[in-house]
Amino acid sequence: MNTQLFSKTIAALAVFGLLGMTSIASAHEADCPYCKLKLVQNMKTQDNEVVVKVGNKRIEYRCLYCVIKDQKRYKGDLVVYSPSEKVGEPVVLKRTDGKWTGPEGAVFLNTFKKHSECAELSRAFSSKAAFDKYVKDNKVADAKALSLSEFIALVTKPAK
Amino acid sequence: MRQVFALTMAFALLPTAWAQMPGMEMKEGTKSPMPTMPSELPRWMNSRGLDEIFYKRGPYNWAIDRIPAFAKDMYATGVGHAMAYEALVTGQSNQLESRVFSKIDWVLQHPPSMPVDEAAISPRFVQKYGYLEKVFDWAHTLHFQTIDVFSHPGMTDAQKEMEIDRLWKFYQSEPYAITGLPMNMEYLDSFPYSMTFRKNYPKVNGLFWGYHWLQTVNYDMLYRVPVKDHVPQYEVLGEQYRTSELYKTDRDFMPMTAEMSPRFAKRFPYIANAFDNLHMLHDNVNDILAYPGLTEKQKEDQIKIAIYRVLATTHAGQKAGEGEPMTLHDHRHPPSTPGMGMMKGSEEDVMFMSGMGWMDMSECAHCSIALPEEGPWGATVSANGWTMMVRCMMCARDMAAETPGRAIIRAATEDENRLLVMISDEEGNWTSNIKDVVFLEVFGEHPECSSWSRAFTSHAAFEKFVQANPDLKEVKPLSLEAWSKLNYGTPETYRKIDRPNPYRSGGATPPSDGGSK
Repeated sequence: MNTQLFSKTIAALAVFGLLGMTSIASAHEADCPYCKLKLVQNMKTQDNEVVVKVGNKRIEYRCLYCVIKDQKRYKGDLVVYSPSEKVGEPVVLKRTDGKWTGPEGAVFLNTFKKHSECAELSRAFSSKAAFDKYVKDNKVADAKALSLSEFIALVTKPAK
Repeated sequence: MRQVFALTMAFALLPTAWAQMPGMEMKEGTKSPMPTMPSELPRWMNSRGLDEIFYKRGPYNWAIDRIPAFAKDMYATGVGHAMAYEALVTGQSNQLESRVFSKIDWVLQHPPSMPVDEAAISPRFVQKYGYLEKVFDWAHTLHFQTIDVFSHPGMTDAQKEMEIDRLWKFYQSEPYAITGLPMNMEYLDSFPYSMTFRKNYPKVNGLFWGYHWLQTVNYDMLYRVPVKDHVPQYEVLGEQYRTSELYKTDRDFMPMTAEMSPRFAKRFPYIANAFDNLHMLHDNVNDILAYPGLTEKQKEDQIKIAIYRVLATTHAGQKAGEGEPMTLHDHRHPPSTPGMGMMKGSEEDVMFMSGMGWMDMSECAHCSIALPEEGPWGATVSANGWTMMVRCMMCARDMAAETPGRAIIRAATEDENRLLVMISDEEGNWTSNIKDVVFLEVFGEHPECSSWSRAFTSHAAFEKFVQANPDLKEVKPLSLEAWSKLNYGTPETYRKIDRPNPYRSGGATPPSDGGSK
């Protein structure tokens, strides 16, 4: 507990800032704030935790669909760390002044029929090729690669 | 008896909404035999007189009205109880989940601004079970008067604590008083009729447990908290109550006082136990009235026996911390929590908390290091319907930051007479009841977090502390804004207790229904 530790504090903060949110999702038992189902934890081979950074909060959701559906509760800007096909390399989406942006080339899947499948079937991918591989490996039926704006339009479309 | 058994079996086989959901069935649990009438039932149970007793005199009476929204919600709980009971004894149980629920819900959303005489709402119930009303009324008086004392601006914290002890003695002086000893909740919920009400009437049971949430969560909101900070906290808790807690149908067990108000329960364990025993009596009565295997006479007898089980007179001479497991006189408690009886599956300090999973109550809920026994006691975090004890300000902030919705932190400062109360919005922006609050935070090893993560009431108090701790003399105080922006995520020391849910077959924790109507 001296200046050395104080420097450690600054260093740790810098590290967290650089790594983004993947290392600080909730470890406590929790439900998705939107669909109320249990959160799906990361696995060795696949990340599943969707983390929203808003103000001083870091809130975990079950899938990207749930984040978009629940976004109205937050007034400030959002950063969403959405698990991709690569472990530890989320697709980072931002909502700034209400406008969503994401990395170029990112595509999205949204084909779940029941919420119990949302974590597997509402996801982000860094490329169309990665999307195609996921769809093939997991035998996803009726899969359509969506752009970010198409994904958001689909999720926010009023129910009939 | 044979008929009773057959009815019990038939009832047990009835499909319920829960039973149709895989992994979510409520476990039957250990079954105790149908209780039999004790030989020494108190005589007052057979008296038909009302024997109304009023409040202990005091300048604090009705101070609850200083928190108007809270007072109204509390008054409405009495109406809700009475309406449900009246329906149960007047042949309207088939309308409990529909018409009666809607009627109660309307009252809860449009609460009365003064207490309502429950006998006026449930005349048949009071006529039939007057002896039970005496026990309920007397315990509810203790509830309201303890709240009044804490809400009163004209007393110091020390005076309030002394008056609460006097109220407890006043309460215990009547024969209708419920014991302040911890009782085994698994045992009290193990009779052939147990769980009938929650299975058959989940929505109305949800309301009852929602009332119990409100009646227990308020004590940490009030205890040693300046009266000016009561209303802002209730803005958060009241919204949680009215929008979510009332409508939860997926709780595993009723909310316990020590879960909802751990600081209060530690200071007044006998009162916390009395409230839990009262709430369990409510559950027992609901189950008995809803159980199809009993005649009217048997129901009356079983209610008398249920009252007898929790009366203080029944347990005279018994001691907290002792007793044969799963018996009437099982007064053991988790070592760190004398204000709570043993729960289903609990071992020492480890217990299953609905919505949180397995927790060790002797440890920080965020970093799993033992809670401090000396020095500042740490903090509590209230968010999303739960309240948890943590070791330090960092654990409090980071635990709140990973939880959706608004949050309340109540924390120790260097001045044991000044409690820090902070409230955050949906995005983790904090406000404080202490204008000049500053923080010490020098991230280090978690086992020592309570020494390097603390709150101070002023810059001068911070300086005094760092001057007395040479290792810290270079450290600068953090403002509330700067401190709020920090986040160290989940501590490496956090230890998740991975065991199956003891209340559900298959061990699965059911998904929350989010408290929808």
